[in-house]
Formats: sequence, structure tokens, C-alpha cells
Amino acid sequence: MSRPKLLALLCLAVAVAPALAIEPRPLAIAIHGGAGVIDPAKMTPERAASYRAGLAAALDAGYAILERGGSSLDAVTAAVRTLEDDPQFNAGRGAVLNHEGDAELDAAIMDGHGPRAGAVAGVRHVRNPVELARLVMEKSPHVLLVAEGAEEFALEQGMVLVPRGYFRTEARVRELDEARQTEALQLKATAPGATGTVGAVALDRAGHLAAATSTGGLTNKHRGRVGDSPIVGAGTYADDASCAVSGTGQGEFFIRQVVAYDVCALLQYRHLTLAQAVREVIQKLRASGGEGGVIAVDRSGNIALDFNSVGMFRGARDSAGKRDIAMYRDAQ
Amino acid sequence: MYAIAIHGGAGAVPRAMLSEPREQRYRAGLETALDAGFALLERGGSSLDAVCAAVRILEDDPSFNAGHGAALTRDGAAELDAAIMDGRQLRAGAVASVRHVRNPIELARRVMEKSRHVLLVGAGAEEFALEENFVLVPNRYFRTLERQEQLECEQRGERVSDLIPSSQGTVGAVALDGDGNLAAATSTGGMTNKRPGRVGDSPIIGAGTYAKNGVCAVSATGHGEYFIRAVAAHHVCAAVEYRALSLQQAVHETLHEILAALGGDGGLIAVGTDGQIVMDFSTEGMFRGARESGGRREIAIY
Repeated sequence: MSRPKLLALLCLAVAVAPALAIEPRPLAIAIHGGAGVIDPAKMTPERAASYRAGLAAALDAGYAILERGGSSLDAVTAAVRTLEDDPQFNAGRGAVLNHEGDAELDAAIMDGHGPRAGAVAGVRHVRNPVELARLVMEKSPHVLLVAEGAEEFALEQGMVLVPRGYFRTEARVRELDEARQTEALQLKATAPGATGTVGAVALDRAGHLAAATSTGGLTNKHRGRVGDSPIVGAGTYADDASCAVSGTGQGEFFIRQVVAYDVCALLQYRHLTLAQAVREVIQKLRASGGEGGVIAVDRSGNIALDFNSVGMFRGARDSAGKRDIAMYRDAQ
Repeated sequence: MYAIAIHGGAGAVPRAMLSEPREQRYRAGLETALDAGFALLERGGSSLDAVCAAVRILEDDPSFNAGHGAALTRDGAAELDAAIMDGRQLRAGAVASVRHVRNPIELARRVMEKSRHVLLVGAGAEEFALEENFVLVPNRYFRTLERQEQLECEQRGERVSDLIPSSQGTVGAVALDGDGNLAAATSTGGMTNKRPGRVGDSPIIGAGTYAKNGVCAVSATGHGEYFIRAVAAHHVCAAVEYRALSLQQAVHETLHEILAALGGDGGLIAVGTDGQIVMDFSTEGMFRGARESGGRREIAIY
């Protein structure tokens, strides 16, 4: 090796060594599987264990990616995809059914680095809507594609579409029948998951934030109804300069109050802590009559999960050793 | 105090290319919409009625990219988006990708007033329109010869002479009424040659349209994808509410710092709770008009 090269290497080593000596940058991921009325009386130990297992699988899948140096974008995609494939949650397979008996799916993903975003709404034949949202972000000049146009794009991207029957589960068909009978297009629906939506937020080693949300919306919803999940700023938002947020709850309230972006704005402009910002938007939501929850992570790796409903399926894991799965207020 | 501002799209035709007769048509269209909205405010009407009336007139005017005369998708069809927001209780309604509703802004208002939802898209939105006794029109109602030529030019990769560059044409209105209520409305056909199903910022509450009493009402026009990422309309409100920026500063920052950094251009119109009107853009021009009870009345392009 020539002298100048050796010298250059030596300089590099000296420059890099102190950086290696300090603590590795924090990693963090949080997920939710929906907020709403999860009547504790109806939650049998078996069901609770099953929900917990589903949440743990998604949380750990996302965290594993962060741990081996993967991006927050990959981590939230993996976590949400896992929840979409799990029929217990209201997204992908096992999504709630609209008035006509079909699953109509919405999803969004946002990369805090850029920031850039992709979203789809009203798709009926895409197995993992969060993956299509990601393709919209990465392979199209657009942010939001809806309905048949979104599925046309999916085909152009080489995705294999699935029949509508793929998404329908017996439990959801039963829920729809009950809802049709009472015409209760409401959060107060009896079954857990009526406002279930799934989502994830993460911070990776490179300091990038990402958020993703996916949902089937409301049981017995009007065809074409789109909630907050695929709306950038409402149900999903991420910006490396502030935080990453995913929401779940009565979507119409989240849209009107631009909830996800509001958390970031409070953090950035009012200099609230992440926990304070999340608390404040949840209070605003309650004041306006809306119900739901929010998960968020900031650039320092702080995680906040809050809700004003009876419960929220949720999980959080970080590089400081935290690993929580919970459903109700008392962290059970 | 009451006030109204409207826009008919940013990214105006280069000055040298805009023919006199066409400029007259644009100005006349803007005046009609502005005065119709203002007349409602003058006789004590609500800001919601005023923005709805102004936008409906611009939708009906084939010169602007909304309703009749909207830009066409790559398949040659019109696909329309619209949103309206009432600053009183943050009520909002929006529709996206509708193909057979003459005045999308009216359907957006109906979504706000008669459904429990905020956003309906595609065939489901039209089903709701039928349930609400709207008379649907064939898609060819929206198509004009000019827009067809524009589509063909774009598909051949040519610049169209003196039409508003469709990537940025959109119509919108913001108003403050005598009771202090704010409202905003936006309607568009989106980009010429767009992919079917593509939705821009106009029907996205917070991105292209936002109104909050005590803060401001905002309507945007421009490259929608950037306005969505920046949550542009709500950003203006948040800057006024949380950082006590003036409306002018908030609009300026959003356009010339945040959107500029992302690489997106366009325009914003806004009215504050004191009736102050701000109209700003980062493109060569923006078709716009403003009128308020203090006597100001202006129509401008550049």
C-alpha cells in the first residue's frame, strides 16, 4: 500500500473510532391493531392470547429488520403486512365488509426521509394494500391512487390480484349481518375490530422515521367511503424533522383535525414532548366527540401510545430493552 | 367585515402566449364567480354558501379545469375531485374520482351535510349522489374540444399553446362571512393525461382545502403530490395558530420555503379571521380574484 493511501486510511480510522465508541443510535418501533370498544367482558383468555400473539409477531418482525440495520420503511411495511395477513385484525384478510359485503381496503405509507408518501383507497383485490401504497410511493409520480385505477397500477407493477372472497372471513360476514340488522354503522358496534385498523411507526439506525397504516374501514360502510388511514396528514404522517404517527379510530374526526400531522406540528412548533403532543391531540379528539388512538415515535426514539377509547391493541419495542404488548388502559 | 377570494389555477400561461380574447374570457369568468360569492355575503349569506356558489360557477365555466372543461385522463375521460370545509365545527366533505356529477362541489357539500363521512370516492360516491337525488350526466358533458386537443398534445409530448397548464389548473374559493365564519372549497379535474384513479390534493382535507374558525381558510392549486406531502393548507393554519405568524408569513413560508424545498410549485389563497386576504404563488401566475366589504375588488393573473 502506498504511503498516501495508508495515511488516508489512518485518518479515516481516527475519525471513525470515536463515533464507534459512542452508544449506537436508538431503534424503536410501535404498532397498533385498532382502537375502539373492546368490551373487556367479552375478551376471553383465549382470544386475548391470540390477539397478543398476532401483535407480537408483527412487532418482532418489524423490530428484527431494524436490528439488522434495515430501514424504518421496511420495518413498518413488514409489521403492517403481518397484521394485514392476520384475519383477527381489520386490514387485508379479515377486513370488515362494506354494505355490499365486500372488503374495500385503504392503506398509506410515509417515509420521513424526503418526505415522500404513497397511498391507495377503495381497492378490493390487492392482498397487501400497504405494499401497493409503497409501490405508489416508489414507482409512480403520485401519492394517492383510488379504486380501479389503483388496481390497474397494481397489475402494471406485476402484482397478482386476488378474488374478493380472499378477504372475507366468517366472523366479518356475521358482523355485517348484525350491523345490517341494526344499521349501526357505528363505532359502538359490538365486535372488537369494528374500528380496528392496523399501523406501525419506526425509527431506524440511520435516524429515518416511517409510518404505515392499513384498514378495511367501518363495518357496513357506504361503498366508496374512505377514512383517515390513507390520508397523508390525517391517519399517517412521518417527517424526519419531527416524528412518525399512525392513527386509528373514527376516521372522519381524524381527517377534519388532520390528527397525524398535528402531532408533528405540536412537536416541531410548540416544542411539546412527543407524549404531550399525542396527549393533546387525543384530548382535542375527545373534545370534538371523536374516539380513537394514536401511536408515534420521534427522532430520539421516544414512543408514545395514547387513546380515548376503552382500549387499543398495541405494541412497542426499542433498543433500550422495552418490549410491551397491551390492550387496555392498565397496560394489560 | 366579510371577504372572499377565488382562484382559477396557478401556473398561468406565459404572458406572451396568452391571447387577448382568451385573457378576457378568463377575467370574465373570475369576475362572475367572485361577484356571485360576494353578493351572497353582502346579503348576509354564509361563507359556506359563498364558496360553494363561486366554485360552482367556475366548474360550469369551460375555461377552468373543474367540472365542464376539466382536464382529461390518459383514457380521455374526466375524473373529478372536490372538497368543502366549514370552519365552524371543522365539518368537511369531499369526493374523488367521480365521472358523472355535474358539480362535484355540490356533492362534496352533500357528503358533509347528509352523510356521516368526509370522503367518498369513485362509483361509491356516485351511488351516494343517486341516493341524494342528483341527476348524473354522461362523461362527455365534461369533455371539451380544447381539452381533447390538450390531451393529444400532451400524449405527443408537446407543450400546449395558451391553455392553462393543466397540471396546475384547479379552482377554489375561501370566504369569511359577517358572522365570522370561515369556509373553503376546491374543485379540479386534476392533471391532463393523468392515470385513472390518481387523486391530487384538492379533495384532501388539510392538503388542498382547510378552514378553521378563529384561524383561517385556505384553498390550494398546484402540483398536488407536493401539497399532500406538505399538508399545505393545514400547515398555513398551524403556522398561524401555533406560531402566531401573520397569514401572509404563513402562506409565504408554505409556498416559498416548504413546498419550494420539496420541489413543488403552485399557489395558495387564504382569508384570515379578520378578513385579511392573502393570495400568493410560486408559478408565473395565478388566476385569482378578491373582494371584501372594505371596497377592495381585484382580478389578476400575473
